[in-house]
Amino acid sequence: MKNKINIYLVEYAINAILRQKYKSLFIVTIFTLLTFLLTSVFFITNSIRYELDSTVDALPQIIVQKIKAGRHYDIDVNLVDDILGISGVNDAVARVWGYYYFENARVNFSIVGIDKYEQQYKNSFTNLVKDFDFDDINGTATMLVGSGVKRTMQSNYYKEFFNFIKPDGTLKKVRIAGIFDGDTELESNDMIIMSKDLFREIFNFEESKATDIVVKVANPEEIATVVSKIKLMFPDTRIITNHDLKVSYQNIFDYKSGVFLVLFIVALFTFFIIIYDKSSGLTSEEKREIGILKAVGWTVDDVLKEKLYESFIISFFSYIFGVGLALAYVYIFQAPLISNIFSGYSQLKTSFELPFVFDFQTLFLIFFLSVPIYIAAILIPSWKVATLEADEVIR
Amino acid sequence: MIELKNIRKIYEANKFDRVTALDNINLTVQEGELIVLKGASGSGKSTILSLIAALSKPTSGEVIVDAKQISKLSDNFSSVYRRDNIGFIFQKYNLIPTLSVKDNILLPLVSLNPHAKEVEEKIQSVMKRFHIEHKENAIVRNLSGGEQQRVAIARAYVNNPKIIIADEPTANLDEKLSHHFIDILRELKALNKTIIIATHDPLFFGLDFVDRELEIHKGKIVL
Amino acid sequence: MILMPEVLTILILNVIFFIFAVIAFVLSVKIFLKWNFNSTDTSQYKLEKQSFLAATIIKYIFAIKVPLFLFFIFTLDKISHVLTGAMCGAGVVDATVYGTYLLILKIINLYLFAYWLMLHSADMKEESQPYTKLKFGVFIGAFFFFIPELILEGLMFSAIDIDRIVSCCGTLYSSSASSYISNIFLIDTPVLLALFYSNYLLILIFYFLKNRYLFAISNLIFILVSIVSLIAFFGTYIYELPTHHCPFCFLQKDYYYVGYAIYALLFGGTFYGLVVGFIDSKYKERIKNYNVSIFFTSLYVLLLSLYPIIYFIKNGVWL
Repeated sequence: MKNKINIYLVEYAINAILRQKYKSLFIVTIFTLLTFLLTSVFFITNSIRYELDSTVDALPQIIVQKIKAGRHYDIDVNLVDDILGISGVNDAVARVWGYYYFENARVNFSIVGIDKYEQQYKNSFTNLVKDFDFDDINGTATMLVGSGVKRTMQSNYYKEFFNFIKPDGTLKKVRIAGIFDGDTELESNDMIIMSKDLFREIFNFEESKATDIVVKVANPEEIATVVSKIKLMFPDTRIITNHDLKVSYQNIFDYKSGVFLVLFIVALFTFFIIIYDKSSGLTSEEKREIGILKAVGWTVDDVLKEKLYESFIISFFSYIFGVGLALAYVYIFQAPLISNIFSGYSQLKTSFELPFVFDFQTLFLIFFLSVPIYIAAILIPSWKVATLEADEVIR
Repeated sequence: MIELKNIRKIYEANKFDRVTALDNINLTVQEGELIVLKGASGSGKSTILSLIAALSKPTSGEVIVDAKQISKLSDNFSSVYRRDNIGFIFQKYNLIPTLSVKDNILLPLVSLNPHAKEVEEKIQSVMKRFHIEHKENAIVRNLSGGEQQRVAIARAYVNNPKIIIADEPTANLDEKLSHHFIDILRELKALNKTIIIATHDPLFFGLDFVDRELEIHKGKIVL
Repeated sequence: MILMPEVLTILILNVIFFIFAVIAFVLSVKIFLKWNFNSTDTSQYKLEKQSFLAATIIKYIFAIKVPLFLFFIFTLDKISHVLTGAMCGAGVVDATVYGTYLLILKIINLYLFAYWLMLHSADMKEESQPYTKLKFGVFIGAFFFFIPELILEGLMFSAIDIDRIVSCCGTLYSSSASSYISNIFLIDTPVLLALFYSNYLLILIFYFLKNRYLFAISNLIFILVSIVSLIAFFGTYIYELPTHHCPFCFLQKDYYYVGYAIYALLFGGTFYGLVVGFIDSKYKERIKNYNVSIFFTSLYVLLLSLYPIIYFIKNGVWL
């Protein structure tokens, strides 16, 4: 097969695009906008998914929660010892954590209590207890806050201290000792870390209870077995593994971008119709041009090729342009507006930074959704043009 | 070389409105011959030209060029045949007004996909031959009628065709430019091209280098 | 139903393919029945024009289909991350009853479309267009392979159930499995290798003898023999694991995407081998096809042979 690309045809195609300034500009603008939107959405979901994935990876392999009357309830700390007795279990830690609603700013902080002498269930915490002492010398309680929390507190004039309102209505003054950096932004943004004792004091949490228990298993293959054993020992518990979480996150995001894609298809279809219409209705000038080309020896194949080159160049250019714009929009300007759709509800949650995740498959995906569809739209009109009777249109 | 056998061409707009453009035309043209087809407009001379150039097909009869049945060629191979054999100078020139002189002359070469060097040589030589090289990059729309015609001639000549066809070449030219065209014609004849001209301009009648003059009237050769 | 952007994209393109394929099919039937090159009526002239539309559509479908096939494999790999139990595309293919047939159809269709393109280019070179009837006849046949492919693809994606645990390739492609694939492992390795290399030798002999029909037939057999030996023998050396036979895993990054090269070489070599036998092209053209075929096939054999040889040099033992 000798299918050398005819550079004269390519040149002619480029020339034709440039000569029809307004038509080309119109197509490029809409096409670029469409690919830009689509690419942005995929970049954002990829980034958030990456953040979530690493958050989930950092999560404990197994979480054991107590369920009472179908609701999540505080679990007995004693269960830890029983779980540690199961073979294959490396470690089990009772966690205390919860949400504190800060009325002035109308946001929720997630508060985690940690114990210095315990094995930490997160690497970032292990470093924290090493570098930081929660037992303040002056007797005032201290805490570490995420960067988002810090901002919120500052804008409410809590610069060095913060007053928690305890269940009985009294205040608890806690010093802000510093900013906490987690493995990922999404995780640490709204987080406050303090000692377990302080946590229990603020929320009036019983000494013998914990929020849940996290379990570490040496061999990931054994997670399923350990889960079934725990379930057998404590039938009133709910057990969540990090794999479950990962799959459900993946599904949520695929679903969200799927829904977006459906909307996108509608837009694309409209575009398809416009293009079909535009390229079908030729002016007599344009028809004459094709007639001339055929009269001087261009074959039907030549004309078809030229038209296809034209549409490939214009759609590929728009594709590259749209992807480039999306890169800048998402990773340099942090995707204002669109990112809100995909990341949660709370004001605090949205302010994390989108990490740069580059995935070739996404580029292919967008390519398949743009260039072939555009070419499909011009295929039949191009054929009509290419088979015009030269004799009739140049008279 | 060119042979038209029992050609009939009927333009049929609908069942009740048919125009017989050509009626039983028989014509043989030898290689290197220069023929002038005379006749009023609508007599059918343009139709003969477009049949020879395979731009249209006869209703019945055969067009044979170099022992090949032109009237049977498919759309695609009609184009190939034109590209390889025919240089057509149209009455309205049929240039692409928004392209430059050079790009217009390039058009017949495009589908052969030749080397850039070869293309450049060919274009430069025809532009010189027909005195248009000083307008190489000018947009055709901005040229005068005489210049446009020279571009059209250069384009018809660039693929070095055996047959040159001209339809009313002087219809849009003043007398001086028309004489100039006749000079070019003389030159082409000296290059041993087969030339067929359709015209009603008396300037072409009785020229010393014209081999035959044929009068077409109402779709028939009358002289 | 699995609502992934990748899956939706494939389905959208399938809808376009479907519409276009139907148009091309209708035109093909018309052309196949009424084509008469010697006729000069307007109906023949119209058919001629329509043949361009049909040809352009088929070329379009093929041009998108080839990269889309790679994208399809990519997508299967991606779905395998979501499916519990699946390690690579094999698990996804096996997850539904449609997977295996879909994959086989896809491969057959690649050959069919590529064959059509060769016919078309041979046809367009001659003024008398000798293959027009044949090529549209071929497309009418290909249509009945292509439409089921589109339908099966839709069925497969809608049948994938995320919550069901599927088999991983380790169990699918193992000698202890009870599927028909496991029959492969009943053949002794020396016999299989002898088959593989003697088949290649036959191709070489027919190449030098320039016997086009035998060359094509030996290429046809080679498709089967080489895939079987790839699963049963060469695969284990790519993974350097005596029990891992999966023909999908080596498409993944961990094996430097070598699978794409392997399958591309196999396809290129055998396809041109078949072209030599099936298309009555000019002598010069045919010699070129012979050379392209033998080049790809030799490269394929060389590439596969290198894996066990390098393994032996490194470790001093066979698996």
